[in-house]
Amino acid sequence: MATNWHTTVTERQAGGQRRNFTAPLSWEKAAGWLVLVPVAFFFVYPLWKLVILSVKTETGIGLGVFSEMLADVRTWSAVYHSLVAAVLSTVLALVIGVTLAWLCAYTDIRGKGAIHVMAMLPLLIPSYVMTLAWTQMAGPAGVLNRFASWLAGTPVELWNVYGLDGIIVVMGLSHYPLVYMLTLSVLYRIPKELEWAARSSGAASRSVLRQVTLPLALPGIASGGLLAFISGLDNFGIPAFLGIPAGIPVLSTLIYEQVIGFGPSAFGRAAVLSILLGVIALVGTGLQWLLLRKGRVDQTSAEDRSVRYALGKKRFLAEGAVGLFLFVTSFLPLLSMASTALIKAYGLPFLTENLTWKHFLFVLRDHAGTREAIANSLLLAGLTGVLCLIVGTLFAYWRIQRPSALGKMTEGAVSLPYALPGMVVGLAMILTWMEPIPGWQPGIYGTVWMILIAYVTRFLILQVKSSTVSILQVGREVEEAARISGGHLWTRWSRVLLPLYAPGMLTGLFLVMLTAFTELTISSLLWSSGSQTIGVVIFGFEQAGSTTLSSALSTLIVTAILILLAVGGIWKRYWQRRMEG
Amino acid sequence: MNRVSLRNWTLSLFAAISVIGLTACGTSSSPQATTTSSPATPQTNSTQSAEPAPAKVEGTISFYTSQPDEDAAALIDGFTKKHPQVKVQLFRSGTEEVISRLQAEAQAGQVKADVLLVADAPTFASLKKQDLLMPYNSPEAEQIPAELKDADGAYTGTKVMATVLAVNTQKGNKLPDSWKVLTAPEAAGKGVMPSPLYSGAAAYNLGVFTRQSEFGWEYFEGLKANQMTVSKGNGAVLKSVAGGEKDYGIVVDYMVARAKTEGSPVELIYPSEGVPVITEPIGILKKAQNPAAAKAFVDYVLSEEGQKLAAGLGYTPIRKGIGAPEGLKSLEEIKVLSADIAELEASREADKKKFGEMMGGN
Repeated sequence: MATNWHTTVTERQAGGQRRNFTAPLSWEKAAGWLVLVPVAFFFVYPLWKLVILSVKTETGIGLGVFSEMLADVRTWSAVYHSLVAAVLSTVLALVIGVTLAWLCAYTDIRGKGAIHVMAMLPLLIPSYVMTLAWTQMAGPAGVLNRFASWLAGTPVELWNVYGLDGIIVVMGLSHYPLVYMLTLSVLYRIPKELEWAARSSGAASRSVLRQVTLPLALPGIASGGLLAFISGLDNFGIPAFLGIPAGIPVLSTLIYEQVIGFGPSAFGRAAVLSILLGVIALVGTGLQWLLLRKGRVDQTSAEDRSVRYALGKKRFLAEGAVGLFLFVTSFLPLLSMASTALIKAYGLPFLTENLTWKHFLFVLRDHAGTREAIANSLLLAGLTGVLCLIVGTLFAYWRIQRPSALGKMTEGAVSLPYALPGMVVGLAMILTWMEPIPGWQPGIYGTVWMILIAYVTRFLILQVKSSTVSILQVGREVEEAARISGGHLWTRWSRVLLPLYAPGMLTGLFLVMLTAFTELTISSLLWSSGSQTIGVVIFGFEQAGSTTLSSALSTLIVTAILILLAVGGIWKRYWQRRMEG
Repeated sequence: MNRVSLRNWTLSLFAAISVIGLTACGTSSSPQATTTSSPATPQTNSTQSAEPAPAKVEGTISFYTSQPDEDAAALIDGFTKKHPQVKVQLFRSGTEEVISRLQAEAQAGQVKADVLLVADAPTFASLKKQDLLMPYNSPEAEQIPAELKDADGAYTGTKVMATVLAVNTQKGNKLPDSWKVLTAPEAAGKGVMPSPLYSGAAAYNLGVFTRQSEFGWEYFEGLKANQMTVSKGNGAVLKSVAGGEKDYGIVVDYMVARAKTEGSPVELIYPSEGVPVITEPIGILKKAQNPAAAKAFVDYVLSEEGQKLAAGLGYTPIRKGIGAPEGLKSLEEIKVLSADIAELEASREADKKKFGEMMGGN
């Protein structure tokens, strides 16, 4: 670390000669340390605790666990499946996310508000519900195959969602909103004049898209793609549901298998696999930097939500396609969840005499833990959101305004807790925060603050990438101009930078808060009396076999969030109008 | 002149915020932490002198369990009615999550749990091997059959949970009475079971089945040949069968009984060969900070009152002389398939591995 730090300083000395006259180098150095130390403590140290586990053997320190795991065929089979699933699902998420964002940002397609809210659903619906809905639709006895068999007159299996292809599809459909959200805010900011200029110079629409729009939108696309990629790596619910019955291990499920194993080397084996997973995540982050280098940053433009392409006759077609897509991928899963919650007992046919509100009443009125859990989750989501908003935006600002190897390394470190399965992150948190420094027990363990730290650590990257998108789009000249006009730090940020950064910052805040609000794995490992979250309650119902109750609670939560989203959307529009006006 | 320094201000701010955030967390939580660890010491000394010690039962105990939420709450309620001076702190999650947390705490050098209650005996045997448990022969345990508790008192079974055959009743299947139906043509492609790789209870069942002369590994080869689906856990199996995706499932009894009572189209069958039984044992951790209260808690769970409570919640009680809830068989009526716990513990990883290789990668 230290050597890299020196090289970055010398690079900067060479590059920014002007700065050498204006300020002592120690400021730069201090800034670097101020980022490095917290990142090392909050992000690298817990992972280091895992790495130690992987080399711990009964006799002392050794690579025995490593060689044992690396020699196992299943390990490499899991690596292969994880890679294929994460990469292909990212491609799918990119195609859907970018297309949808382009349609919403530039064309005269109608119902944009509704599309926006519907596109958020896959992030909100717990992934096991999403998966269950897909098995009902495309499982061996699912609607699709029964319909095909009915048409053909003989049993036909058109497509079976159990298997690697099913994992890829469901993952891609669950993660495209990340790409969509980050791309959308970029597209609005691309000056329409650039596209016009290209078109008036004779470029066809397709080459405008390829040579102007997409390169300019790369910050958003690449960031969204990275988030989709690492979400695919850490996802447990989808491969657990669709992969286990098909005998397909991925790294996240194999890690779980190892963690729950008996014997002293169980954690060590899980740690080795986590390291493999971490390496894959870092390679993904590296690829994203390569992509970003090709992206162009142009002059800042205010958000422009005007229609740029009239779809004409194709509008109906586009609206129909988007509508059908959202109906199948967002609305049907929600509907299947809600109908499970309304049925008296799981498995009964959906008939009037079998319907009841009692599950909703039970979770709201009779179940003691629900209200407390909602309060806790709200508190956690709020605090996590605000902390991530401040820290993540400042980090992104530093990372972009001072590009350096150190910046890349710290960003890689920040992305790791999001890429690792929640179980592993939770365990690393226990190992770290019980006694962070030998002899110092902060008393955080077993309280709600433990979960807060875990959430901030895990979800910070969502905010960093979202803020990055906006910061990348605002040229440095803006800040320079503000400075030359005599704007002081506070004025610069509050009057100039924050309004320009706001779209990305808000996207990040939304993502972080939503994810934290519905988080399941970490809290089910770290909670204790008085700090149970919504995820813990849902997990509890699910484990007791009470699917109807868990569906009822999930439905309530998703509906509440949808209402909030709609209200939030209106508020956001109002706020932006005020800022621009 | 001042522009670089100002920029760096933002970074100092970033660092300052993270530090403030951290200290804020630290200070606001410390009082809670002290309350959990304060009681301990005096009682520890008084109870170490064997015999039913007249130690005062008070303070806080930390209870880690995998029981469903409501059941754990009912148990704690019942206990605190009897011992109002004791506050029970609960951590409830899946057996796997509970044990992982416990192991991580042990790795970090501080086990925070006082009392543990999770699915199966081999899991406890593994903890006993790691010297994490405190032996305690509860006077109440005398009413519990010897084969369902540890000889050294490290853990004691609290209920009887049989793994049974669940059958969907809407498919018009003839109700079977043997595990062998799962290898028969009528169940081809229609069976589902929880994966031993992801569920401790399923791993226990695997160990027991493969050690019966009647079944052995050949049985599982037969299941594989009959396209048995392996699902993540008991919950998923029940869903598959109740939802009609599959017709037959290997699943824990109380879940089926509950679903059936609610009206789900499932039937519960105790096959004639017998059933593997897990006992949800309870044990006290060696480093328990409040052993007196922990022992009182164990006594309560095993007492007549505690066992009646369990029966009321829909479980087969383990104590002799207390009837099973409706829909379930009592311990006397169940033909139990069993195997040596120490052997099950020692060979669990090997069993799981063999199963994974056999069923996995179709």
